[in-house]
Amino acid sequence: MTALPPSISSRAARKSLSRERLSREQVEQFGAELDALRERTLADIGEQDARYIKRIYAAVRYTGALGRGLLFFGIFPPAWLLGTLLLGISKILENMELGHNVMHGQYDWMNDPRFDGKTYEWDIVGTGDNWRKTHNYSHHTYTNIKGMDDDVGYGVLRLFPEQRWRPFFLGQPLYAVIFALFFQWGVAIQDIRLGRYFAGRMTGAELREEFRPTGRKMRRQLLKDYVFFPLLAGPFFLPVLLGNLVANGLRNLWTFMIIFCGHFTANVEVFPKSIIKNETRGQWYLRQLRGSSNLTGSKLLHIMSGNLSHQIEHHLFPDIPARRYAEMSKEVRAICRRYGIFYNTGSLVSQFSQVIWRILRYSLPSKPVKLDGKMLMAD
Amino acid sequence: MPDTASVKTGALKRLIGPVIGPVIDPVAFDFWAAKVNPLLSWERPLARVVARQVAARDSVTLVLKPNRHVPPVQAGQHVPVTVEVDGVRLTRSYSPSSVGGKRGKGCLAITVKRIPGGRVSSHLCQNVRVGDVLELGEAFGEMTLRPEVPRWLYIAAGSGITPLMSLLRAQAAGQSRADVTLLYWARTRADLCFLDELRHLDSHQPGVRVHIILTREAALLPGEHSGRPDAALLTQLVPDLAERRVYACGTGGFVDSLRTLLADQVAGFDAEAFTLPERAAVAGAPVQVTLRRSGRVLDIPAGEALLPALEARGIHPKHGCRMGICNSCACDRISGTSENLNTGATQTEPGVVRICISAARSDMTLDL
Ligand SMILES: Cc1cc2nc3c(=O)[nH]c(=O)nc-3n(C[C@H](O)[C@H](O)[C@H](O)COP(=O)(O)OP(=O)(O)OC[C@H]3O[C@@H](n4cnc5c(N)ncnc54)[C@H](O)[C@@H]3O)c2cc1C
Repeated sequence: MTALPPSISSRAARKSLSRERLSREQVEQFGAELDALRERTLADIGEQDARYIKRIYAAVRYTGALGRGLLFFGIFPPAWLLGTLLLGISKILENMELGHNVMHGQYDWMNDPRFDGKTYEWDIVGTGDNWRKTHNYSHHTYTNIKGMDDDVGYGVLRLFPEQRWRPFFLGQPLYAVIFALFFQWGVAIQDIRLGRYFAGRMTGAELREEFRPTGRKMRRQLLKDYVFFPLLAGPFFLPVLLGNLVANGLRNLWTFMIIFCGHFTANVEVFPKSIIKNETRGQWYLRQLRGSSNLTGSKLLHIMSGNLSHQIEHHLFPDIPARRYAEMSKEVRAICRRYGIFYNTGSLVSQFSQVIWRILRYSLPSKPVKLDGKMLMAD
Repeated sequence: MPDTASVKTGALKRLIGPVIGPVIDPVAFDFWAAKVNPLLSWERPLARVVARQVAARDSVTLVLKPNRHVPPVQAGQHVPVTVEVDGVRLTRSYSPSSVGGKRGKGCLAITVKRIPGGRVSSHLCQNVRVGDVLELGEAFGEMTLRPEVPRWLYIAAGSGITPLMSLLRAQAAGQSRADVTLLYWARTRADLCFLDELRHLDSHQPGVRVHIILTREAALLPGEHSGRPDAALLTQLVPDLAERRVYACGTGGFVDSLRTLLADQVAGFDAEAFTLPERAAVAGAPVQVTLRRSGRVLDIPAGEALLPALEARGIHPKHGCRMGICNSCACDRISGTSENLNTGATQTEPGVVRICISAARSDMTLDL
């Protein structure tokens, strides 16, 4: 690969970005073009998309059943390996291409209770309801706004020089590994905001009350993967339990990697709270674009990432069926080129090494960067 | 009769349901169950098409065999039928033209008239085949058998014959000797459904009289009449009008004109309209928004975004971004026409609506 080391390409790209600031009017034109693309795509949504999501659902069921079936023969190592892998794939597909996208309301137009965004419940310890709040609302509305989007470092990592350094962050390479391994648990408790409890702004009773639905979901998930299915296997309890543990772990690592590649590569930006004051639709689009990054790769990568490999398009059009992003990305790219806006994309290896670089670099103190007064437009 | 497979799973479910019910995923259960038998379902009311007959021009009768989750239907009621057309699930009401009958006790038949450009009626008439599975809902309707009423006048226009047919059939099967006169309006002879059966009832069933009225037929046969419903025709065909109780069924316009003509001339008047009059309110005109769960009814100007309008009236639905991105405020629109304020598109089909970027364009019921 000929890519420059992340830090260098980053600096070069940042420089070129700062030269390319658009006028207010240009930003609105840019937004109008994206709106038109949105309308064109929506007009074509229909039977093919319905068939697609049903096929994904079937794939989740088949890989899951096959994986769990093979794990019953898990004392044979090849069966265990294949079973674990298939179950991991099933969980990844369910969480990403099915659950995440359905919960955005991408398939609400089908009027099908199975794919209803406001009631879908996914195969992970976090509840759908909490996710809809932290992710669909906070993260997608306030993308990369420091202090508003919890996903900026998830409260435990310092990924941008704009975040204040504290000695706590010295340990973040370790926290990141733990966070990646237990990603679903992090997602599950994200909305509980234990910080408020420790800061004394919430009583123990309040915390317990808020935690109840999550606790119920966790219990159900744990029972399913670590009691029910292992017991069903009788004497092969242990291989099944281990297989389920590893499958959940694989899913955790994979989703962590994909999600971090979407917002923490070298060239994504964070923004101050002031930026949403009187934010227009065009400015909202531009902020989404500058706060997200894509992955290039095969169709398989796109499906397995729930099309979050098209993080940019997902943030511009979160309610459009994700299978459309690949097509849309061609036009988004062309629009960006016309306006001289940087379109952040790269291979998984290149983008993820930039993420790792951020985790390592910003565990150490750095020259503070001020966010105050940062604007998207030139005027 | 529900088929044997669903009886068996019924027993199985009763046995294991209480144990595994709380951990079962009904959607996953249905996914696998449908591989065995498409009528099997954990809880969804489904019916299989077991016969299909052309009933008249542009009209098809589908005989349906329901699974055990379909609630019972009385003659004269209508049931919501859900089909998937171009990836979208659509629900329409159909009044079974027979319930029970010779195909088995639990079977029902619906007779559908294809409306040009109509999505569900076209699908049911043209695409649905024997073996296909439809989803049904709970039956509604007050136009049911009332043995205490001595004399009936049934009035049907077009596909409005269906609930009246099922009442006639039930009355004939019950040997109740009901005294019924049926006036059946259609455009032409080719549009008449159940003609042979109606003729047979007319000549063999004591108390039953059937009059056919055709509005667009060039030459009439003996016994056929023509013209729109008016006082002269009605008194000519039904001399004892004042002693009869009326059930009428047809399009909104037909039913309205009958009501004006007859309501205070007869012993009672009930009607069901098959098309609801289209009412897209102009911007600013007040429309009634009913919140189903809280039971509140509010006047809101048409064209005003629903979320702020509700908030201004002291109601605070769940919401997030207020700009149509996050889906937090999505709720079910049970009836009514909404407008997407970002695109100007209107939507009449029941379904999910984001109230932060949608306005009411007609009276509306929301699941709030
Ligand atoms: C209580 C009840 C019982 C019903 N029972 C029956 C029945 O037994 N058999 C039956 O065939 N239909 C019945 N209908 C009508 C049926 O529910 C549908 O409205 C009809 O099949 C048209 O649906 P669609 O999806 O094909 O048309 P849509 O796609 O919804 O409508 C297409 C266009 O046709 C117009 N339109 C809708 N219905 C009619 C109509 N009846 N006549 C003329 N124009 C219309 C609409 O305004 C629209 O402009 C009943 C309706 C109700 C409310």
